Amino acid sequence: MASSPVARVTGRVAVPVLGLFWLAVTTVPFLFMVMTSFKSQQESFSSSVWALPEALDFVNYESVLNGPFLTYFKNSVMVVVISVVLIMLISAMAAFAFARMRFRFNEALFGLIVAGMIVPIHITLVPIYLMTRQMGLYDSQFALIGPYVATSLPISVFILTEFMRQIPKELEEAARLDGCGPFAIFFKVFLPLSGPGLSTIAIYNGIMLWNEFIFAYVLTSSTGTRTLPLAIWDYQGQYTSNIPAILTVVTLTSLPLVVAYAFGQEKIVKGMMAGSLKG
Amino acid sequence: MTSITLSGVNKSFGANFPVIRDVDLTIEDGEFCVFLGPSGCGKSTLLRMVAGLETGYSGQIRIGDRVVDKVEPADRQVAMVFQNYALYPHMSVYDNMAFGLRQAKTAKDEIDRRVKDAARILQIEPLLERMPRALSGGQRQRVAIGRAIVRQPKVFLFDEPLSNLDAALRVHMRSEIATLHRNFPAASMIYVTHDQTEAMALADKIVLLHAGKDMLKHGSIAQVGKPLDLYHRPRNLFVAGFLGSPTMNFLEATFVAQEPVGARVVLKSGEELTVPVDGSTLAAGAPVTLGVRPEHLSPVVGPAPQTLTRKVSAVEHFGEYSFVYLEGGTSAPLIAKVPGDGGVKAGDSATYAAPADCCHLFDADGIALNHI
Repeated sequence: MASSPVARVTGRVAVPVLGLFWLAVTTVPFLFMVMTSFKSQQESFSSSVWALPEALDFVNYESVLNGPFLTYFKNSVMVVVISVVLIMLISAMAAFAFARMRFRFNEALFGLIVAGMIVPIHITLVPIYLMTRQMGLYDSQFALIGPYVATSLPISVFILTEFMRQIPKELEEAARLDGCGPFAIFFKVFLPLSGPGLSTIAIYNGIMLWNEFIFAYVLTSSTGTRTLPLAIWDYQGQYTSNIPAILTVVTLTSLPLVVAYAFGQEKIVKGMMAGSLKG
Repeated sequence: MTSITLSGVNKSFGANFPVIRDVDLTIEDGEFCVFLGPSGCGKSTLLRMVAGLETGYSGQIRIGDRVVDKVEPADRQVAMVFQNYALYPHMSVYDNMAFGLRQAKTAKDEIDRRVKDAARILQIEPLLERMPRALSGGQRQRVAIGRAIVRQPKVFLFDEPLSNLDAALRVHMRSEIATLHRNFPAASMIYVTHDQTEAMALADKIVLLHAGKDMLKHGSIAQVGKPLDLYHRPRNLFVAGFLGSPTMNFLEATFVAQEPVGARVVLKSGEELTVPVDGSTLAAGAPVTLGVRPEHLSPVVGPAPQTLTRKVSAVEHFGEYSFVYLEGGTSAPLIAKVPGDGGVKAGDSATYAAPADCCHLFDADGIALNHI
C-alpha cells in the first residue's frame, strides 16, 4: 500500500527528529557525567553545570583508583561472571526440558517460573537477608550469587524456552538416531544452536547485575566484599557529597559496558534482536 | 536378515484421533518399499514408528529377528533421511557425517575411512569442510544421505526426501537414490512420499495407505503390491483413483448379466460394455462403477462395440500427447489421453474405444471385481 506524500514527508522529518531527541536524552547525562568527573569539587560548585572543565585534570581518577575501587571492580567481575555463567547453564537446561521434554505439569511449572518475573525483589529482601545470615554467607561475594541467579532465571528461562521451541524437531530426532540421549542432545546439539538466545540473556543479565544495587547493599557490608554500585558510598558523607568523585566512579563503572558495546555492537544488537524475534 | 514386519499395528494421537489402523505388513530383505498416500494418511507416522521415533502404539514391529518395540532408535540399526535434511547447522559436513559414529565410539581411523568412502560415492568430497548453510538443497540432501550411509544400517528410512527440491533436481536425486539401493542390496529401504511418480519409479513394493474415513472403515492399508500390480489391478476405487495422472475415469453403470467373457454392464448414457471380471455375486440391476484410464481410451472412427461417444468440451495439447475432455454421462468430465494433437477440437463429437482388458468394475462398496 503506497503512503501519501504528507505521510512520507512527516515520516522523513519525524523519524530523524525523534532520533535526535532520543540521542540527546541518552547522551546529555552521559556527557555531564564525564565532564564533571574532570572537575575539582570546587569547580563543580562554582562553574556552570554545562561548562567544560577548565583543564583535563585526572585527579579524581587518581584518587578513585588509589582507593578501594579496584577491589569493588574485582568483586563485581567475579560475582557477575559466576552469576551469568550459572544463569546461562541453569536456564538453558530448564528451557530444554520445558521446550522439548514431555512430563506432567510441564506447562504449569513453566508458568510458575515465568510468574517469578512479577515478584518485586524488594519483598524478598528480608527473607533473603535472614537466610543468608543463617547460612553464614553474609558479607561475602557468594551471598550475592544466589539471589542474582534466582531473580534472573524467570526471564532467562522464558527467553530460552521460546528460542529452543523454534529449533526444528528433526534435529533432535536425528541426534536420537545418532545415538544421543537427552544430555548429549542438550550439550551437543541444543546448547551450540542456542548461541543467539544465550548471548541475549548473557548481555541482558550482565548489564542488570553489573548495575545491581539493592542486594549488594543489603547482603554485604565491608569494602572487601562490596561491588561497584556501592563504591559511590565512599564519596558520600552524612552532610556532604563529592560529586565529581562520585561521577568518576560512575564513569569508571560504566566504562567496561561502553567498551564492550563499542567492540561488540553488532553481536550485541544481533543477540538482542534474535532473542526478541524468537521470543 | 533385514526384513521388517509390522503385526497388528495401531496408533492414535490421543483417545479420539486414530492415525494408523490394523497394519500387517512385511518388507522383505533388501526390498525398496514405498509408503504412498494422501496427506494425513499416517505414512510418515508409520515410518517414524519403524525408526523408533513414535512410541505408544499397539502391535509389534520386528526388524530381522528382533522385536524392536522397546529398542532405542540408535540401537535399531536404522538410518533416516529427513524431509528438511536435519543437518546439524553448527557442524561441518564431515562432522555431520561422523557425529553418529563418534557417539558410537567408533575408532577415529574407521570414522575417517567411512566418511570419505561415503563422500566419494555421493561425490561430495570437496564439500567436507563446508558448513551446511554454504550448501545448495541438492548438496544438503546428499550429505543427509551420506550421514545415513556411514552408519552402515540394515534399514534406510527416507521421509519425503525430495519434496524440498526443484523438479529437475528431484528427478536427478531420484535416480541417485535408485543407485544407492543397487549399491546396498542387503539393506532394506522404506521411502515415504505422496508423489506417485517417485513411488512408481523407485519401488519394489508400494504400500498405499487410506486416510480419514476410509482408514477407519477399511484399515490403513489400501493395497500392497508391485507398482504395476497396483496400477493395473487396483483393489478398490481409492487405489484406482489415486494412481495415474490424470486419474482414472469412473462411470456409473448398472450390472446386466454375467457372461462367459465377463460382466455386461450398461452405462447411464445407454452404451453397453463387457468387462472381463467375475460378477457372479451381483444381482441384475445392481449399481456398479466402470473404471477406465485416460491412456487406455483410443479414438475410433464410426460405430463399434465397446466404445464411448461424447461431445468434446476442451482439448489440452502437450506436444507429444493431448488430453481430450469429454462431457456427458458423468459428473466429472471424461478424459482421454491421446497421441499427438488428438485430431479433434472442442464441440466435435468423438468416439473412443475402451478395450475390455483395460476396464475395471467396482461394486457398490467400491471393491474391484476380480478379473477372469
